[in-house]
Amino acid sequence: MDRNIVLQVHNVSFAYEKALVLKNISFSVGQGDFIALVGPNGSGKTTLLKIILGTLIPREGEIRLDGKPVLSYPPKERAKKMSYVSQQPSAGFPLTVQELVSLGRYPHEERFRQAAGDTQAIEEALRLTDSLPFRERKFTALSGGEKQKVLIARALAQTSYLLLLDEPTVHLDLYFQLQILNGLKTLCSEGRSTVVAVLHDLNLVSLFADEVLLLKSGEPVAFGKVAEVMNEGSMRDAFAVEVAVSRDSQSGAVYFLPRRPHR
Amino acid sequence: MRRISLSWLILFFFFSLSLFLALSIGPVKISLFALSPRDQTILLNLRLPRALSSFFVGGGLALSGAVFQGLFRNPLADSYLLGISSGASLGAAAALVLGFTSPLAMFTGVSFFSFLGSLLALSLVFYFGRRDGYFSVFRLLLSGLGVGLLFSSLVAVLMIMAEEELRALIFFFMGGFSSASWETTWMAITLVPVCVWIAFYYARELNVLLLGEETALSSGVNTRRIQAIYAILAAFLTSISVSVAGLIGFVGLIIPHMVRMVFGADHRILLPVTFLLGGTFLILCDTIAKVVLAPSELPVGVVTSLFGVPVFLYLLKKERGEYGL
Repeated sequence: MDRNIVLQVHNVSFAYEKALVLKNISFSVGQGDFIALVGPNGSGKTTLLKIILGTLIPREGEIRLDGKPVLSYPPKERAKKMSYVSQQPSAGFPLTVQELVSLGRYPHEERFRQAAGDTQAIEEALRLTDSLPFRERKFTALSGGEKQKVLIARALAQTSYLLLLDEPTVHLDLYFQLQILNGLKTLCSEGRSTVVAVLHDLNLVSLFADEVLLLKSGEPVAFGKVAEVMNEGSMRDAFAVEVAVSRDSQSGAVYFLPRRPHR
Repeated sequence: MRRISLSWLILFFFFSLSLFLALSIGPVKISLFALSPRDQTILLNLRLPRALSSFFVGGGLALSGAVFQGLFRNPLADSYLLGISSGASLGAAAALVLGFTSPLAMFTGVSFFSFLGSLLALSLVFYFGRRDGYFSVFRLLLSGLGVGLLFSSLVAVLMIMAEEELRALIFFFMGGFSSASWETTWMAITLVPVCVWIAFYYARELNVLLLGEETALSSGVNTRRIQAIYAILAAFLTSISVSVAGLIGFVGLIIPHMVRMVFGADHRILLPVTFLLGGTFLILCDTIAKVVLAPSELPVGVVTSLFGVPVFLYLLKKERGEYGL
């Protein structure tokens, strides 16, 4: 089946000084896909996101964005195609929510001038993340969950078609986890976004991801559909945990019940 | 918006008032509305350059503080805590004691070497303040503290070496504008506005940098370039202030915080307002320094510290982790 490939990760390896943390990672992402990066702590998920982003340079291999090496794009052009939400929310001074989300428009702006579509993009990002009620509040005064929503809103306001998210639901309660991921999934279904996200909650992965890259110690265990990749054996192998895998009779989605550490 | 406009009006009012006071008040009584030839000489050759020096130095110091705080996302960063002032002082002291002269005709030896000293301090703080390619708040402040102590010790060595220049050195380091003249003022008047413009020009990038280096990179900001531009700019402003007026503490620390409380954290507004308020604050401090123990003068650095230290300690106590400290 032909699909519009937006991201290709080809045989990527990476080392911090001498310690090899990623080995021979290859996969491709089509337009509108929702890809989950799954694996235990220290398996290289965040490092892989940063390599895709272009902030880390792989020792071997290549990242291609829209068919061109990711590092060949000027920074602003790259930012128009790809946005990022980091693991640790950070904003050093008390900007308002509105001001912070508007920073997502930076790659589209000309100096001292708003870009076309700025207001609409900011409004939509605030609406999609349910951040409109506190748009005038200071970011530093928000709860962890609210901060996370605002940071996702900033990335959405960037209106790039590839979203890289590092544990986007980590501070959110169950309701907002579903709300945010539903919103992202809708954007993917409509072909307006493509998501590559590090997720720790296996059940959320099952509900929302089209495909999963399972990593262990920097090496790919498997890449493919959730039901194919995530089974008792692969979970035991990757996480060293005994996991019961069942199928929901209503949705048909698989779900996971961790039982005990595997000895 | 109305609040912001009103705040601007108030700010300009205080600027005009402070300038009026600085030009009116001094050891010799003059009336600005009926100037004799002698009064004209005092006004144009003494008080005006002194007021303009204090305005541009104060504005420059405050601006450099706002830039350092934004660049490193830390409310306590300024040229003092980062050791940049000590670097500038070492350069200036070396020029005074060892008689170094500037290779550029437009700068005095003190100006040129204070800039070199500030750049040296900045390079060391940058080198030791980074970990895994990114700045760490604690590393930066600790590096700044270390570099500041090292350079201050070297200044002490120079002071011991100094004989005839000792008095000039002590006077220099106490900070002040009592010897201000057009010769010392022109540099501040011509170069500081250029720095203000450059700082304002890249203010949007500085806003994006508040989100952290990685997020700024992913937003399309050339972070290394912006960090280099702003750091050199702030070091340059510090060295201008040191070479014009010696060491003046805390203007860079307190003024940006006062402005953030009223105008918010958007650098497109923060930077120009900080400059204006910093300049106004230092004109007022210098006027107080002139009159409070007349006919003697207090060093202006003493007056700014008397205001600055309590605010600094208050900020330290009030900080509740919003800035990652």
